[in-house]
Amino acid sequence: MTTPALEVAAVSRRFGGLLAVDGVTFSIAQGGLSALIGPNGAGKTTLFNAITNLFPPTSGEVRFMGRSLTGLDARRIAGLGLIRTFQTARVFPGMTVLENALAGAHMHVGATALAQMFRLPGARAEERALRDKAGALLDLIGLSAFRDAAATDLPMGAQKNLEVVRALMANPRMLLLDEPAAGLNDSETADLAALLTAIRDIGVTIMVVEHNMSLVMGIADQVIVLDAGKLVAIGAPADIQADRRVIEAYVGLED
Amino acid sequence: MTGFFQIVIGGLLQGGVFAAVALGFSLVYRVTGVVNLSQGAFCVLGAMAMYYFQVAFGWPTPIAAAASVVSVVAFGLIVGATTFVPAVAKLPVSSTLVLTAGLLTFFEGVALIVWGNQPYALPPFSGEAPVSFGALRVPSQGLWLAGGIAAMILALWFLVYRTALGRALQACAENAMAARLMGIDTPRMMLLSFGLAAAIGASSGLLVAPITSLQFDSGGFFTTSGFIAVAIGGMGSFAGSIVGGLLLGVAEQLAAYYVSSLFANTLALLLLLAMLLWRPNGMFSSGPVRRVDVRSDAVVHRALIRLPDGRLVALGLGLLVVLGVLPVLPLPNGVLSSLTISMILFIAVLGLDVLMGWAGQVSLGQAGFMAIGGYTAAILATNYDWSPLAGVAAGMALSIACALALSLVTGQLRGHYLALATLTFGLLVDSLTVGLINVTGGPSGLVGIPSFSLGSFDFDTSARMYWLALGVAAVAVFILEGGMRSQFGRALQAVRTDQLAAAALGVNVGRVKLAALCISSALASLSGSLYAFNFHFLSPEMVATPRSFEMIAMLVLGGEGTLVGGLFGALVLTMLPTLVQGLALYKTAAEGALLVATFLYLPEGLFGRFAMLLSRVGRRAAPVKGAPAP
Ligand SMILES: Nc1ncnc2c1ncn2[C@@H]1O[C@H](COP(=O)(O)OP(=O)(O)OP(=O)(O)O)[C@@H](O)[C@H]1O
Ligand SMILES: [Mg+2]
Repeated sequence: MTTPALEVAAVSRRFGGLLAVDGVTFSIAQGGLSALIGPNGAGKTTLFNAITNLFPPTSGEVRFMGRSLTGLDARRIAGLGLIRTFQTARVFPGMTVLENALAGAHMHVGATALAQMFRLPGARAEERALRDKAGALLDLIGLSAFRDAAATDLPMGAQKNLEVVRALMANPRMLLLDEPAAGLNDSETADLAALLTAIRDIGVTIMVVEHNMSLVMGIADQVIVLDAGKLVAIGAPADIQADRRVIEAYVGLED
Repeated sequence: MTGFFQIVIGGLLQGGVFAAVALGFSLVYRVTGVVNLSQGAFCVLGAMAMYYFQVAFGWPTPIAAAASVVSVVAFGLIVGATTFVPAVAKLPVSSTLVLTAGLLTFFEGVALIVWGNQPYALPPFSGEAPVSFGALRVPSQGLWLAGGIAAMILALWFLVYRTALGRALQACAENAMAARLMGIDTPRMMLLSFGLAAAIGASSGLLVAPITSLQFDSGGFFTTSGFIAVAIGGMGSFAGSIVGGLLLGVAEQLAAYYVSSLFANTLALLLLLAMLLWRPNGMFSSGPVRRVDVRSDAVVHRALIRLPDGRLVALGLGLLVVLGVLPVLPLPNGVLSSLTISMILFIAVLGLDVLMGWAGQVSLGQAGFMAIGGYTAAILATNYDWSPLAGVAAGMALSIACALALSLVTGQLRGHYLALATLTFGLLVDSLTVGLINVTGGPSGLVGIPSFSLGSFDFDTSARMYWLALGVAAVAVFILEGGMRSQFGRALQAVRTDQLAAAALGVNVGRVKLAALCISSALASLSGSLYAFNFHFLSPEMVATPRSFEMIAMLVLGGEGTLVGGLFGALVLTMLPTLVQGLALYKTAAEGALLVATFLYLPEGLFGRFAMLLSRVGRRAAPVKGAPAP
């Protein structure tokens, strides 16, 4: 049996008196596409923050590819190949769309700062290759017409797409996407779904927080349901849809 | 033993003024979240007004004092309402901090215009005879000072904790958004805090003026001392401000007496650096713990300037040719040497742009690295027969070493604490250049510095020195431009705008900042060395903290994040007083006013605006704004 991509073991995160994530345990197989769902305030973003040590777990442990993440900072976690996006898009203001995408490749730039400054041939070739790759990805997600626009001039949905491209430029082994479809219309959401399955098919493990049930049920091979910080259910989409506890958690919130 | 107590009493009196200034800092900081560096200038303005009302007009002391405070507060309110309050609303905190440095310069400039550059001492309120307590003797003015400051503290305490107005002020300090929802007019409260701080400053200034003589630029001294006090005590904490001020006063007096008066300041600054390292929030930390997953600074909406390659090369070469032929033209007297100075300063401003404009790290200590480079190269070349080039290299190496040491402190710091640590560093270097007389020649400076030379070629004429500076600047711009258009530049900008998102992409935020600091300090050092070789002379005030502020003004005026922009800022601020002789007196005020106005009304700077026009012309059909079609 291969090691799971991500193992979350009894993870809790407390904010003062509030237990935002409460003893959550699950694991995600390599190459899987898992969806994390739950009503507003369920603790989904907090769980992402705990996994990436932005707000480290108050107890419990997270392992990525068999390696404990305890005590690692955001940069080291990214270095292991675990890349996240944020619920409110955090594109870099003051940079163009293309530059934002390129910024994602930071870990894989081999040329030193000095080589870049002196425009050494190796550095220039590397820069060209990165630009080509970023251009192709922007094209894939329908942003290539805006590559030289200011990233913050894009509408929210497009900024979230850009964040996914930026994350992909980092050559991740696993992606944590926090509501990537927020702000997208139906056809854009369908494009995103196609992109996510394609990313999965090239071997990148994905965990995605999503409110859009049809998107979740269409692409995920595993669904994790969180409510009030607790894991309520975990299983295949079809089973989850039939689960009474899940329906209860969502009563009045989702159709 | 009496001697010891005598010194402590002197220290407490001095510390009382520091405490008052520190209180002003804390008050404004609590309400607006900004450290107002112009605070110390109100002391000088208060004393200056007092001089006119009391000495020149002959008004009785109480009336003159009241009139002084009222007029300074009125002036402060006007300036605050037109600059500070709008800035707090629309600029990120770090820019507002720099803007207040501009206000400090502006106030000093105003004092220079009105008062001239002599020191003034006011007559004591109740005669020269000291009051004796047993064996201890206290100047009678000291009692006025102590009483006045105690009364101010009480009045402030009463206002903040016992009145409805104070509750409104406090509400702003705790949560500006909630205060707004409760119907509190937050801009008015900000202005009120600014006005109160002006009143505190003016009162303590006119109380202390009879004991210490003041001159137009003493405001910088009060700002730095008050700032050291408040940083030791804890920014935003009233108790901390008072304790920090008194502690600093006593420590400085004791150090001056038992160690050396030249190093009193040095010791205080070292104390502060240690404090920043050990407890960045000071002894009495106050202030809310913020969510770190939301951006702490207002989003920096800066112009996005991207010139197409062809235009960039054409612009660069054109500029180089124009600048290159200038020395062969028949220029009026003094113009070429001013051009040379502008060009040399531009090299340091270029470094500042990498640090501030690209990496978003505000530095108020850039002149400190100029001093290190200038003195190292000059001393080695003058006293030890090193070749100038080797001296320059040694200066740069030492500057980078100092930058690395400084980063041990600043590495943990962000936002205004970072800016303040760099200010502390600059002041520390200032105090060492003055204090280490045997090495630097002390206040009277270092003379007999040779010309710069390469092998047997001497750069001993104005034109040669100008071309040298131009060449160095051009090479530096070319190299940096290469870096800024590659991943290094993107990493700097990522760190500037969103450290968290940058780290989540694997950017080593600390290392990127350090690289920017090293580049910046190396360029400042280079500039300082050339400066010394150019003048054949170097004195502490040529490379002191006001120079740091001036370089920030140059950068902002020219355009942050544009590399070349700083040249235009340097040219404007250096050439204007040369071209229009009568302007020299107004230079300081104009510099401050220009910095403030640029921040508020032309945030992209002169060159930035020009480049924006150029890049807009370059864009044809490509859509610039808008959304992908739904
Ligand atoms: N930094 C923080 N400090 C205090 N409380 C927090 C913090 N972050 C999250 N919380 C609280 O933890 C709970 C879970 O929030 P979280 O953002 O994780 O929910 P979510 O499932 O992502 O919701 P949504 O669907 O709205 O994004 C909420 O009650 C929230 O207020
Ligand atoms: Mg969320």
